[in-house]
Amino acid sequence: MKWATRAGVHIDRAACAWLIRRLVDPEAVFVFVADPAEVPAEATPFDMRGVELGHHGGDCTFETILRRHRVDDPVMWRLAEIVHEADLDDERFDAPEAAGLDAILRGLSMTCPDARVLELTGPLFDGLYEYLRRGMLLDRPPA
Amino acid sequence: MSSDDEGALGRWVLLAYRMPRDPSRPRIAVWRKLERLGVARLGDGLVALPRDARTQEQLEWVAEEVTDNRGTAQLWFAAPGSAAQERDVARAMRSARASEYAAVTAEAAAVTGAGEVERARVVRRLRAELHRIGRRDFFPPPERDAARAAVESLAGSVNEPDEPAEPELGTDEAEERA
Repeated sequence: MKWATRAGVHIDRAACAWLIRRLVDPEAVFVFVADPAEVPAEATPFDMRGVELGHHGGDCTFETILRRHRVDDPVMWRLAEIVHEADLDDERFDAPEAAGLDAILRGLSMTCPDARVLELTGPLFDGLYEYLRRGMLLDRPPA
Repeated sequence: MSSDDEGALGRWVLLAYRMPRDPSRPRIAVWRKLERLGVARLGDGLVALPRDARTQEQLEWVAEEVTDNRGTAQLWFAAPGSAAQERDVARAMRSARASEYAAVTAEAAAVTGAGEVERARVVRRLRAELHRIGRRDFFPPPERDAARAAVESLAGSVNEPDEPAEPELGTDEAEERA
């Protein structure tokens, strides 16, 4: 399937692309557009204004996708808190990891094209997910 | 206008929006969100921010919130008609941040005589507040450096910010020890 989002990928779009590949569509192909009118007819748009998979009711797009797919994995929801704070910084959640993640993603968007940002952040989110999963099992930060 | 303003000159993103009077809750939520973003209010239902990837996205999502709540919203990219006009807007934004920074400086000064645990607590709170002000500070006023210096000087007066240590400091610690 084809998925479309805004060019100039930052944290929410990078995390959503990872989530889509991991949970929704392992064969996902991503296209990046400058204007909503450029979204190809067959593509599902996300993290854009005026689409279902966007910010709604205070949620960032990552949270919206988790809700739409009724994901109840607590690790994924903890990761969602970090993505939410890195994206919106509205202090809804206590997620100290968010500031570092925001800085890393901002930097990548300055040095890499969008497709490369997704390549690089895939393993990063895999690792973050595993870190959070182990932390949840241990009930303390894992070594 | 000072040289550090130049990056933002002439490139603004404007949000023109209108929301129903009732219910008032979403309207107030949007108003608060715009305050948090540090927008310049150009008129009734018209706000502006210097345009960059982040501010454009912030206002796009506010626009989405407006339309999700039965309002109408448009995003425009704009340049001011004159340098003087832009200077006035920037001056108002800078001055709004200046009072916020001044409040931080005053709060830091107010607790220099307090106990160590209280000082450590205020340091944490004011650092968070500086972060909050900083992310909506597009035209940094001189008050920013004073506020940072005041908070860091207060931090320097605290030996172990995370360890409530001194016995005279308060009932919380005493109770914990008991």
